[in-house]
Amino acid sequence: MTLLDAFEVECFEETGRDFYKQITETVLSDHNLTAVISKLRIFIDPRIPIFVAVGTIRDAGAAVRISDIGSIQVQGNDTVISIRDETYLAQFLTRLYEIFGHDNVDQPDRFTIIISDVEIPEDFEKIEIVNRADTVLRDLIYAMTVIAPEGFKVRRESYGKRQFFYAASENTLPEHVVGDLVSAQFKLIGEEMA
Amino acid sequence: MILVPITYTGGVYRHDEVIDYIEDLGGYIVQKHEMAQEMVLQAFIPKDDIGRFTAFTKPLAGEVAESPLVGCEIAVVIPSLEIHHLPHSACDIAEYLRTVGAKTNMVGLARGFGKRISQLNDEERDVINEHDLAIYVLGNFETCIEQKFNGLRRGVNVPIILTGAPPLEALKRITDPPAAGYVGNLGRFMHRTRTEADIGRLDAVVEETARVLNQIRDEIAHDPLSVSPARLKEVIEDGIPDIHQVYSPTPVTVQLTGLRIKLPFDRYHDTIRSLPVEEDVTIGDTAWISPSRMRDYILVQIKPFSETHIVV
Repeated sequence: MTLLDAFEVECFEETGRDFYKQITETVLSDHNLTAVISKLRIFIDPRIPIFVAVGTIRDAGAAVRISDIGSIQVQGNDTVISIRDETYLAQFLTRLYEIFGHDNVDQPDRFTIIISDVEIPEDFEKIEIVNRADTVLRDLIYAMTVIAPEGFKVRRESYGKRQFFYAASENTLPEHVVGDLVSAQFKLIGEEMA
Repeated sequence: MILVPITYTGGVYRHDEVIDYIEDLGGYIVQKHEMAQEMVLQAFIPKDDIGRFTAFTKPLAGEVAESPLVGCEIAVVIPSLEIHHLPHSACDIAEYLRTVGAKTNMVGLARGFGKRISQLNDEERDVINEHDLAIYVLGNFETCIEQKFNGLRRGVNVPIILTGAPPLEALKRITDPPAAGYVGNLGRFMHRTRTEADIGRLDAVVEETARVLNQIRDEIAHDPLSVSPARLKEVIEDGIPDIHQVYSPTPVTVQLTGLRIKLPFDRYHDTIRSLPVEEDVTIGDTAWISPSRMRDYILVQIKPFSETHIVV
């Protein structure tokens, strides 16, 4: 968790706080989010009960382009793409079907895609498949759901360009209570709530 | 004759002789695992014969260890079957207990999560009550455990071991009436238990479970059972050939005071009831036979001596 600029868990129960610190570290590194988050502060009060997480994110990273996924070779009428990284293969194939149509795109094995009988656009390699920034905040909110105590089913979450917050409880809490708590937490990490 | 639970680990070579020897001593096999070249036997053997048995298995390079968890069925109760508890920490605990010979079932509650909203329904309560012991794997906050534990134990009459993140003293302080056992410093965590500290925490669960089980065994010894569960298991395996067609790892699960037979109740309960244990004594004379709340299994609860005045 050295990648984070600021990381803190606040709770009046010391044991619980230490356990939640550990849980947060594990979950964020399992979801590859440690490099994305810049500041994170978690506040838990089991008496109310409430779980609040506020934070800011770094630039989530560049777009993933076809050249990042595999290498392209032209063999006669066919264009063969050898896949290096399968992570975004599903989205990549969907995109290829959109551009060239199902009939012209074939995947004979896991790591090979053959496009036949169509012309390949000039800037093909540079076509953007996914932008991680679109999904990273959603991933982050999912990670917070995993970190938060399980029974806290009443949730309020928000993510903007840089900031996110996640508040959860098992009771329905008035909006102003949650709002005040969240903005107080943002202040503690030196941020103004957007 | 006092039977003690043991685990024998050895090779497949000449293992049939080991099984014969256990039976000749008057012992019973509870479970047999055969994994490639290795063989693990969980068995009951007479206490006085442990030395003799160890000497017998020495030339076969087998290891004999007393394992107090053999021959009991434990419920590992978790608030839900969601990612918050699975696979760590609940599976880790259940699996670790299996390595020392226990038969564990995981009971994931439908609505066990939360502090105020946690509930236990009648089916869950009955299923837990069919076990010898329940291990409650609760979370990280003292405040929550204090409030929810009494709700989750309502109607549960088997001994409960309470585990959670707060230290042992805190767990003891917040439970009223007290539970049968406590393991602190466990709680909810999301990582695999592989460090020495983590394994140490699991060892603490095993130790506490063994202590509570020995207590239960001592209590049973005051009013012994009419027949040993392990013996009843053999009677059923000999008397009902269909049990060998059941592909469950333990078609007949041995408990401290009974058995769970994994055959449909409607079709088999009459046959089981009339099976002779010895001349003139049937299983029905020595035990209550009822439908289990777990699938359509059969639950056999052996009556104590004070009820039947029979010991076979």
